[in-house]
Amino acid sequence: MGWLRLAFLMYVALTVIYFLTGIYSRSVRREKLEKEWDADPARQGLSQQERSAFIEAGMVHYDKGLKKRLLWLIYIIPTIGFLVTIYLVNWH
Amino acid sequence: MWTKIKWGIRILLLLIVGLFLHYTMPQRDVVQIINTYNKNTPIGANWMFYSIEDTGTGVETTSTIRDIRYIDAVFPDGKSVMVYRNEDTGWFWPPYFKWDSSTLQAEATNLKSDKANPQWVAVTHYGWRMPIFSIFPNAVKITPVSGPDVTLIPWVNIVILAFLAFVVLMIRRMWMQFRERMVDPALADVGETFDAAGERVEAARKEARGFFGRIGAWLNTWKAKK
Repeated sequence: MGWLRLAFLMYVALTVIYFLTGIYSRSVRREKLEKEWDADPARQGLSQQERSAFIEAGMVHYDKGLKKRLLWLIYIIPTIGFLVTIYLVNWH
Repeated sequence: MWTKIKWGIRILLLLIVGLFLHYTMPQRDVVQIINTYNKNTPIGANWMFYSIEDTGTGVETTSTIRDIRYIDAVFPDGKSVMVYRNEDTGWFWPPYFKWDSSTLQAEATNLKSDKANPQWVAVTHYGWRMPIFSIFPNAVKITPVSGPDVTLIPWVNIVILAFLAFVVLMIRRMWMQFRERMVDPALADVGETFDAAGERVEAARKEARGFFGRIGAWLNTWKAKK
């Protein structure tokens, strides 16, 4: 039953890491969108509503994008790492 | 005074992490195996340096004596020796997931050689040999090598250390982002609120200093504004 306990604890920890990294990644993207808007001289003088609409549209795009899906690697890489370790230590 | 204490704690932490990694990460010795055997080993206060109880390596004759496999080896200089224990690691720490200690013992016995006809092997192991506490490194893998001068590149350690460095860097970046986006604007808010009230600005600024001060100030922004 040791492996169940380990797997459970590991996936709980990875879920915490997944959410923290998700928050971080969204935050970075939002900051990038804000800076992109603020740095564009053509957009000077446009209203605050248009700015937040632009940012929200960018975030929707992010939610559908590849980068968000890459966060699943947080689960996938440790799982592969464990399986490879078990194989190399015991059977290789 | 405080800087000295701060640096002292930092160096101590670094030392603990370094020793921990040195104990846990795999190392390879090029040696010649000269003997393999089992020994009833009393385990007492040094239990931390043996596998956890339910790994099923050998017979646990009582709660404090365990039948453990050992491998004796000699280094290429012909004088210095090393004794490895050969125990399963079980499912927890260190995460080697080694269950093949019987097979490993058979391999070790098979690779045994005498001085006239040395067969050199690389023993992958973790742990330390410390006679005063009766602790032994745990052999994980044994591979024959061509000679005593073979060069082994520690790829596994390179990958692990690179990954750890990446994790530390990411934690730092995430913390900086959190501070920039959540804590600092909140602090600005706090400052404005106090400015508007026209009092205790200085107290708030003082409170908002340092690591915990910032967190406290950020938490305060969630309170209802009066």
